[in-house]
Amino acid sequence: MDTKEKLKQILVKDLNLEEVTPEEISNSAPLFGEGLGLDSLDAVELVVIVQKHFGVEIKDMEEGRKAFQSVDSLAAYIEARTAA
Amino acid sequence: MTRWPVAITGLGCICAAGGTVPECLDSLYAGRRAPAPPERFVSSHPTPFPVFEVRDFREPPELLRTSALAVQAAREALADAGFSAAELRGLRVGVCVGTTVGSALNDEGFCRAHRAGEEPNLFPMERILNSNPAAVIARAFDCTGPCQTVVNACASGTDAVGLAASWIRGGICDVAIAGGADELGRITYHGFISLMITDDSPCKPFDRDRKGLNLGEGAGMLVLESEQVRARRGARARSFVMGYGSACDAYHLTAPHPEGAGLRQAVAEALACCAVAPDQVCFVNAHGTGTPDNDRVESRVLAELFPGVPYHSTKGYTGHTLGAAGGIEAVFTVACLERGLVPGSAGFANADPELAGEPLRGNLEVTGGLALSQSLAFGGSNSVLLFGKGDAA
Amino acid sequence: MTRLVVKGIGVAGAFGTGVESFQSALAEGRATVGSVEVATGEGVVTVPAYRADTAALEEFVPKRALRRVDNYSKLALLGSYLALKDAGMLGADLGRLGLVIASGYGATATTYAFLDSLISGGDTCASPTHFANSVHNAAAANVAITLGIRGPSLTVSQFDMSVPSALVSARQWLAEGRVDAVLFGAVDEVSELVAYLQHRRYGPRHVAAMAPFDAGTESSIIGEGAAFLVLTRDDGGTAYCGIDSVETGNVFGGGLSLPDDALMLLGADGRKELGRRYLDTVAAGATAACYTPIYGSMPAAAAFDLAAAALALKNGQAFASPAGPGPFAPDSAGVSRICSLRLAGPSEYATVLMSKL
Repeated sequence: MDTKEKLKQILVKDLNLEEVTPEEISNSAPLFGEGLGLDSLDAVELVVIVQKHFGVEIKDMEEGRKAFQSVDSLAAYIEARTAA
Repeated sequence: MTRWPVAITGLGCICAAGGTVPECLDSLYAGRRAPAPPERFVSSHPTPFPVFEVRDFREPPELLRTSALAVQAAREALADAGFSAAELRGLRVGVCVGTTVGSALNDEGFCRAHRAGEEPNLFPMERILNSNPAAVIARAFDCTGPCQTVVNACASGTDAVGLAASWIRGGICDVAIAGGADELGRITYHGFISLMITDDSPCKPFDRDRKGLNLGEGAGMLVLESEQVRARRGARARSFVMGYGSACDAYHLTAPHPEGAGLRQAVAEALACCAVAPDQVCFVNAHGTGTPDNDRVESRVLAELFPGVPYHSTKGYTGHTLGAAGGIEAVFTVACLERGLVPGSAGFANADPELAGEPLRGNLEVTGGLALSQSLAFGGSNSVLLFGKGDAA
Repeated sequence: MTRLVVKGIGVAGAFGTGVESFQSALAEGRATVGSVEVATGEGVVTVPAYRADTAALEEFVPKRALRRVDNYSKLALLGSYLALKDAGMLGADLGRLGLVIASGYGATATTYAFLDSLISGGDTCASPTHFANSVHNAAAANVAITLGIRGPSLTVSQFDMSVPSALVSARQWLAEGRVDAVLFGAVDEVSELVAYLQHRRYGPRHVAAMAPFDAGTESSIIGEGAAFLVLTRDDGGTAYCGIDSVETGNVFGGGLSLPDDALMLLGADGRKELGRRYLDTVAAGATAACYTPIYGSMPAAAAFDLAAAALALKNGQAFASPAGPGPFAPDSAGVSRICSLRLAGPSEYATVLMSKL
């Protein structure tokens, strides 16, 4: 499974996104605010999720904000740091 | 209702700044602080986050550290108020204590063993059930009045003092021991790190470069008493609780309301108790945790409601002691008002251009008669206490 | 002492959801005992437990808004909505409403989930969401956020004395006019931890029913649920009943004096060490009842006692004790005063005196 698909499944499960399926999440849609409707508490949870499932550390929220734009940006962030 | 002023006749405090109220004040006025990575527990987190631990204090094995700290501060406060054990037993004494960890069935060792398929000893759980902080104080000093452990997160200590004052006013008890207590451990340490609101250097409340809070531990207790008991004993009031207000943001589980809606309402309620105008307040002990959000909201509300009134944060000396903070800062506010000297905000160096004002840098002499202490908490709880100057020494 | 009245009741427990379910369970003496499975050193054990269902919450709150809300907070939310609805206050201006919640143990399932995150993922993988929801006041925060309650909020955790202790402060808020109404409630949940502790303390038990008046037998069955009341000052309007006094203390402080003209509602819940104290405290032959077998053993049960007493006073007729009258006189005559008695530990007590309007 590619990083984006895996990420979407994890988002739905770990953030308990009621009434949303992984397929419904658009790769380019914003995760926060209007898009998926995530908030500041989800953002810090997402840091732990990325660490736990991908072994990638996000040191601070400034870095996090850039990575958390969309599924596309987060997948790119993860792949850039896990590429062998 | 005009029966507000409720006398405070005793203070007690133990935290990283000192083991007694005078020791704490010395540290505050000298600008002394020594945050360091935790010594009492280990963490495998790669970043060592500084904390403010209470050194040289060991709790008895049968009690939670939180409750042992609470008893220590209560003992100092009762001695300061001049109460003997026998004297107390003849009175209806209430106990109201704020905490965050002091009543949670939360023991990592027990959980680990259970998860590992062992049958762990029940002692850690029984210790928690025997360590409800208010109940432990009531037991230690044979108090027979109402007994309440307030768990309003980081506003708990402030609420406990306000509620106890209201019990005295309502005639529910003659004397009340009130404040807050919390110990620091792996659970809160890693919980706050996970929220990404801890600073990996000594905290810098209201500073441009603030990155978050440092955790601390300790207890702060006050003795409140009715005018009848006080007159009979001829006890001097070190201060008076002049007002208490609390209100909910109803906004978010962990973030404060961006306009500080609940804080404004809590301030308004506290001032209204004795019909006080904001410019009569001579200083404010701010919550001032050093997190970007808290300090932004708080400085905004302070600038709008109390223009020109000096404010400071003492978190730079104690760390954020969570449920204890309201109790410890009530003690500090009362003691500083009595002394007429307000300490500067340790950790503050550079004004933040995005904030409306800045906290006190150095110690400031004040002559006014009223001071405010405020707390903001998880869950959007906001609580405010107004203190008035006591009888002349 | 300011007299309070109970304007609304919201209850959820093993008996079902809402006042009508509660009333019929009380009238029929119906105990709905379920169970919870818990891992122990000797494998998975089934522990009997009174379980509550929060599905009815979807009538009030969209599922999406509950995605981060745990069982503890859901129970509190359900109790809150039901109580406000019962009082006719849903959608009303809640500007002068205070919120007081009592919980003996708080969000124990989420507390354990947080520890699990730390244990399984290591110190860098602690879950901030679980941490934020594990604080005792998370229920009050979620209730305030969801219902838009901006008044004062208080959460009290005093183990078995949580409910009467919190009631002291709630009454004081109303007495001094801080608020015009208090949404007062209690919540406790059955979690793996609570069930495991019960299993460890009392071993494998086969009791099918709680027998609170049988002081020689350990028969407590853990329960969960939420019992919320809307309290106001007595304004002469319609209400379930009045609350005349709330007393808390310990026997070392001298007198625990019980009224002799009130039905004693005992909080005895099958715990052997407390059962004896109840029997010793209330004179044999006094008129007494006990309804804990309807909702189970938990600190929040003290608020279910208050809700049951309020219904009995409104009806003018006490419900029969599900476990029989024990050594006490049966409560067959009409009832106009009820004294709810709760004991804890070796010495603590609380009484709440309630009366017919």
